[in-house]
Amino acid sequence: MTTDKVNYGTIIKNGIFGENPVFRLALSLCPAVAVTSGVKNGFLMGVAVLFVMTMVNGTVSLLRNFISPKVRIPSYMFIIATWVTVTDLVMAAYARDVYKQMGLYIMLIVAFAIVLSRAEMFASKNKLIPSMVDGAAMGMGFLLALVLLGVFRESLGKGSLWGYKFVETKPLLIMIMPTGGFFAMGLMMGWLNWVDRKFFGGTGASSGGH
Amino acid sequence: MKDMVKITLSLVAIFIAAALIMGVTYKFTSPIRFYAEKKEKEEALKEMAPDAKDPIAVAGKWTVHGKSFEYYAATTEKKPVGYIASTAGKGYSSFIQMLVSIDTGLKVKEIKILHHGETPGLGDQVEEKGFLNQFTGKTLNQIVLVKTETKENIQAISGATISSRAVTNGVKDAVQTLVDKYGSGFTRAAANEVKK
Repeated sequence: MTTDKVNYGTIIKNGIFGENPVFRLALSLCPAVAVTSGVKNGFLMGVAVLFVMTMVNGTVSLLRNFISPKVRIPSYMFIIATWVTVTDLVMAAYARDVYKQMGLYIMLIVAFAIVLSRAEMFASKNKLIPSMVDGAAMGMGFLLALVLLGVFRESLGKGSLWGYKFVETKPLLIMIMPTGGFFAMGLMMGWLNWVDRKFFGGTGASSGGH
Repeated sequence: MKDMVKITLSLVAIFIAAALIMGVTYKFTSPIRFYAEKKEKEEALKEMAPDAKDPIAVAGKWTVHGKSFEYYAATTEKKPVGYIASTAGKGYSSFIQMLVSIDTGLKVKEIKILHHGETPGLGDQVEEKGFLNQFTGKTLNQIVLVKTETKENIQAISGATISSRAVTNGVKDAVQTLVDKYGSGFTRAAANEVKK
């Protein structure tokens, strides 16, 4: 925990590009494969994650001196579960139309590695505002990754985008199956690493290990 | 020892606070949700039988998967124009709840999925019109799920066979019930009541 001035630009850039949850940290790949068979699904899931991550990071940051380090994981899990449940209940009551679209995804967020990972790696060591910014930036990174995968898979697998057909051919069905999800993920990760190495002089490799 | 007490207290405090937050949220949101769902159900029923002039009344209850469901008779000036049953099928990760309507000729008119918790992107494709419209005009014996292209039966969605089967079975159960009750007028229904 540093008292220096926090650079929000760096945090945001880090969340979206430098440590993109899906393509760089390789976390939460399971939902990334499961929901990206369409752009719409990916987008809605991304929005839900963005909200939950921001709130969880904020709460964990506020309670960081209160939570005993030895039991931090169950504490974080409970904070995540609380926010997810509250989101689910409130949306079910006040935003019926959105809930009908997104209801399926909200409960899944409890199990996302990326939410727990950011609570542990960032929010537990930083102040409230930077933590919330980090949560939002990571959520943005996740959202972006899901939309990218969704565009790739839906256009090849269904010949449509956001449910609207743009070609009338027999599509490459395998792309919307889980198998195709892994193909898409690998290709996308490889391509982004290549871009990074070629144009930005990065090391390229996905860091994994986190 | 002192550490142990501290850890326990901090955990308990977090759990109680979380439980309170969830409880209060539930208390305030559940009535709103309940009325919203009730209203949606009424509207859904009306959509299922647009040609019924009388208010749609519950005609009886039936059971599937150990749960109780209702069926309704849609009437215009006391004459039946169709029958509706609420039903459910056991899918991949949830019960898919539906409304099924048949016309007086006992052919399926419309299917409406009310609620489900299937996998987004795969199982939730059963909500698409392309799949549900296959049921329209089918008789009880035609409601069979197959994996190849078909005009006679119901074609499963690739990647969502279990969810497709759940919908098909749910519809079949509901139509079976309605046919049993209304098959050849009310005499047959009465006979069935006696048999049971």
